[in-house]
Amino acid sequence: MKILVTDDSRVMRQIVVRTLRQAGYDDVDIVEAEDGVECLAKVASDAPDLVLSDWNMPNMTGIECLRALRAQGSSVPFGFVTSEGSPEMREQASQAGALFLIAKPFTADTFRDELDTVLA
Amino acid sequence: MSAPITHLLDGETVTAVAGEVWSALVGEEEFLVPGHDGPVVLGPSAWVTVTGPWNGLVVLTCDEAGTADLTRSVLQMRADEEVTAEDVDDVLRELANILGGNVKSLLPGPSALGLPETGVAPLRAADVDTCRVAASWRGHDLAITIQGATEAPVFTTTEVPQ
Repeated sequence: MKILVTDDSRVMRQIVVRTLRQAGYDDVDIVEAEDGVECLAKVASDAPDLVLSDWNMPNMTGIECLRALRAQGSSVPFGFVTSEGSPEMREQASQAGALFLIAKPFTADTFRDELDTVLA
Repeated sequence: MSAPITHLLDGETVTAVAGEVWSALVGEEEFLVPGHDGPVVLGPSAWVTVTGPWNGLVVLTCDEAGTADLTRSVLQMRADEEVTAEDVDDVLRELANILGGNVKSLLPGPSALGLPETGVAPLRAADVDTCRVAASWRGHDLAITIQGATEAPVFTTTEVPQ
């Protein structure tokens, strides 16, 4: 099992990985990307089982990345972990094909609630 | 043009938001103690812009000594690990980003959040368009300031307004 964590913040990538461990996903391999452009490339090169992505990033945002993935025919499971979660953003995410949107701050329980069904 | 921030948010709400952010990022047993609006906190700041019906900044300022402790807590570093300037910068940036995202969700939309920046806190807006919350954490002084801009801030994001 492999998860691609995409966030322009090194701190947030570290916190997301830590929270994954706390949520019990000890044995997953982690790959990291710093923006949507790198995420696109790593989906192709690393074939992750799940992408966890920030929304607001330089170069290419998370939603642009998700749309590009779907336009390329990729159906990789994709969820957002972002600092804001307005109803409009949730709707936009869902329409683009995201499975969930976790708003920061989050807990290990939040991760379990959203990820258990995806990684089962 | 939206109403000034003091008509949109109150300090109590901002304190509650900051408390949630603190327990999730800094530590479950870490608490922000609300303070009085005393002297301006001097130290590094991080901020994000909010662009929409209300334009302004969400700024986090922490006293110099507090930033290292804050960084150690957020990154769960060992006591003997050295905190670099990059670590401090990253942590302040992320805290400001999450505070900004949560504040944005309480404002009338559609709005967009900018990318976080760090440095010397930008000049404050007029008091009528400033909501300032003072707090302390482990004895360190902190301030969260939500301040209006007289003009729309420079748009530093690729995000489409939501």
